[in-house]
Amino acid sequence: MAYLDINNVVKRYDGHTALAGVSMQVPEGCIYGLLGPNGAGKSTLIRIINRIIAADEGTVTLGGKAMTDDDITRIGYLPEERGLYKKMKVGDHIVYLGRLKGMTKADAVASMRWWLKRFDLQGWENKKVEALSKGMQQKVQFIATVIHRPPLLIFDEPFSGFDPVNAEQLKVEILALRDQGSTILFSTHNMASVEEVCQQITLLNHSQVVLSGSVDEVKQQHKKNIIAVQTPDTIEPNDALFTLLPPDPVVRDTRIMLAKGVLVRDAIAWLNDHYLLTGFTEVLPSMNEIFIETVKSQSNTLQSNE
Amino acid sequence: MNKLRLIIAREYMSIVGRKSFIFMTIGLPLLFILVAAVPAILAYFNDKGSDTQQIAVIDETGRYAAALHSDDMYNFVAVRGDTVTNAREFYDKAGGGLDAIVIIPRNVDSTGVVNIFSEGTITPALASTVRSALTDTIENAHLADMGIPNLQEMIDKAHVDVDVRSIKWSEQGEQESSTDAAMGLGLLLSFITYMFVLMYGAMIMTSVIEEKTNRIVEVVVSSCRPFQLMLGKIIGVGLVGLTQMAIWIALLAIVGTIAGSVLGISSMPTDAISAEQMASAADMGAIESIMRQTLSINYGPIILNFVLYFIGGYLLYSSLFAGLGSAVDQASDSSQFTTPVILIMIIALYAGIACMDNPSGPMAVWCSIIPFTSPVVMMVRLPFGVPTWQLLLSIGLLFATALAIVWIAARIYRRGILHYGQKTSFGTLFKWIK
Repeated sequence: MAYLDINNVVKRYDGHTALAGVSMQVPEGCIYGLLGPNGAGKSTLIRIINRIIAADEGTVTLGGKAMTDDDITRIGYLPEERGLYKKMKVGDHIVYLGRLKGMTKADAVASMRWWLKRFDLQGWENKKVEALSKGMQQKVQFIATVIHRPPLLIFDEPFSGFDPVNAEQLKVEILALRDQGSTILFSTHNMASVEEVCQQITLLNHSQVVLSGSVDEVKQQHKKNIIAVQTPDTIEPNDALFTLLPPDPVVRDTRIMLAKGVLVRDAIAWLNDHYLLTGFTEVLPSMNEIFIETVKSQSNTLQSNE
Repeated sequence: MNKLRLIIAREYMSIVGRKSFIFMTIGLPLLFILVAAVPAILAYFNDKGSDTQQIAVIDETGRYAAALHSDDMYNFVAVRGDTVTNAREFYDKAGGGLDAIVIIPRNVDSTGVVNIFSEGTITPALASTVRSALTDTIENAHLADMGIPNLQEMIDKAHVDVDVRSIKWSEQGEQESSTDAAMGLGLLLSFITYMFVLMYGAMIMTSVIEEKTNRIVEVVVSSCRPFQLMLGKIIGVGLVGLTQMAIWIALLAIVGTIAGSVLGISSMPTDAISAEQMASAADMGAIESIMRQTLSINYGPIILNFVLYFIGGYLLYSSLFAGLGSAVDQASDSSQFTTPVILIMIIALYAGIACMDNPSGPMAVWCSIIPFTSPVVMMVRLPFGVPTWQLLLSIGLLFATALAIVWIAARIYRRGILHYGQKTSFGTLFKWIK
């Protein structure tokens, strides 16, 4: 049973359809990637889950029950474009947002102090937000998102603008929240971070789901039967079994693509007979490649349909 | 409800806690005092700065030169008329020692013309000093010349200042009504409403735009309804306004008490009443009359209605400002939307002032019923008494319209706060409302 179940959601604006029947099942305790190019409908979907806007059709259920306005206290949302009240004190600001999410004042204050300490911001509680550096402001935004310990967290491009050290700290915190049982919806363009943290993904393009499943499954589906072969020899092409690909510019290994219907072990057996093999690995496509390929092929089909 | 309270509290504190609020609250009255005092200060320095002018008075009649008294500004030196044949020569002979020459001609009694000559500028101040001094003296001399005994007493007896008292037949019997006081009160109330609505409407708009441009708004509306945020803002800022007003009233009361006690002490020693105080006693009748008028105004209903119109007008305009503010990305783009609103407000104020002459005329009646102008215009009419049906109609319309505007503004606000990029037109606004 999915913790967050989005079923056939449709959203239309004056001129266009932002979501054309999108469904998505996010299992409990999972980090779920919501991917897609700009304008695919990710932000619209996230706003519908947050009940900032209403869907024209379809349902959103949380923990098995249709969502109501009261459920927004069970969500923590870090939008892509995020800001803070510049003139407010850091502590007051975090407590205010925590209390808006239904915390008592005492709880919010205690939790705020705990998180400030965790992010090395203890000394800043009574400083105004505008006195903070950009990196510190982003930490404050993160704290304000998680302060009420919501079971569902939605991060929209959480790493954008973070330096590598802070990004790593953020990643550790996100993984820790997952380990404590939070379900995390993670929207991003950064495919490297998807491979690092996401177990499952949904790819939106042109208001529709074009790809979904676990990261491993998706990679298996999109693999092109490419094998990286380590050998001191120079391999000649063998059209019956494989074609040679240009070598990877970084690793400098030899890459072959298997011909249709050829099994990996047959090709390797043949190679082993003819050359000195020191190793081989099946090359799975990166999420980046899958993303670009899927989005491009879809826009090609759309164009040819028109 | 709890969320609304949190939002109101944050909004309130975010303004009241600012230095600019304290500055505005204390500084604005000081500024008013300063503005009021500037002419006096300037005049003081003007007098102070210039040297005493030497004025020769050539009195051909020999009777009136004494009427011109020297003071800090002018030193009048009487010169016998028969000793001077040519004023110009006399002036030149002084070698710059004279600033002007006043010539009182022999025939001044019949013509009433006095000449002032100078090479330099003859200031209006000098001209008016000479005029007022000579007018009274010559007039009195003429009366004395007539040789009628006890003439002055007769004149004093005949003199009359007509004091018009308007008396209104009301259910409480005859009541002295209160034209001057009513006009003053009406104008004051309408001006307060106008100022408050414009000032705090603009404040709400700034607050909405600020939240939108620094992108906090999406986080906030993921925790509460956009309507709660808008309403919280309107109420929070409204409370700020009331706080400010309360402080002003308190300041006024303090200043009033201090001023009252200072004046009270100075007038205590009654055995030493100066001539000036005697003269002012004549004005006491007028002051007393205004006091009586002021007291005769029926304040209960006026205050009640003022509060009602105030709330209605504030609600109407502030939600309008909130809705329009949500539709723009930055404050500099907002003028296309605010200009019409401010224009309506200004029209309302001018209509209010125009209605003072005829508070029951057709323009006054219409403008005090139309919801966009009624909060300002009705204030002018209130102290004069307004038929109940007009009041009920006007208040009903005002609140119905205010609620409709709140609803419309909420619909614009909901879409506007998340709308970035392309400029919003009135057409887009209408689409959002639908």
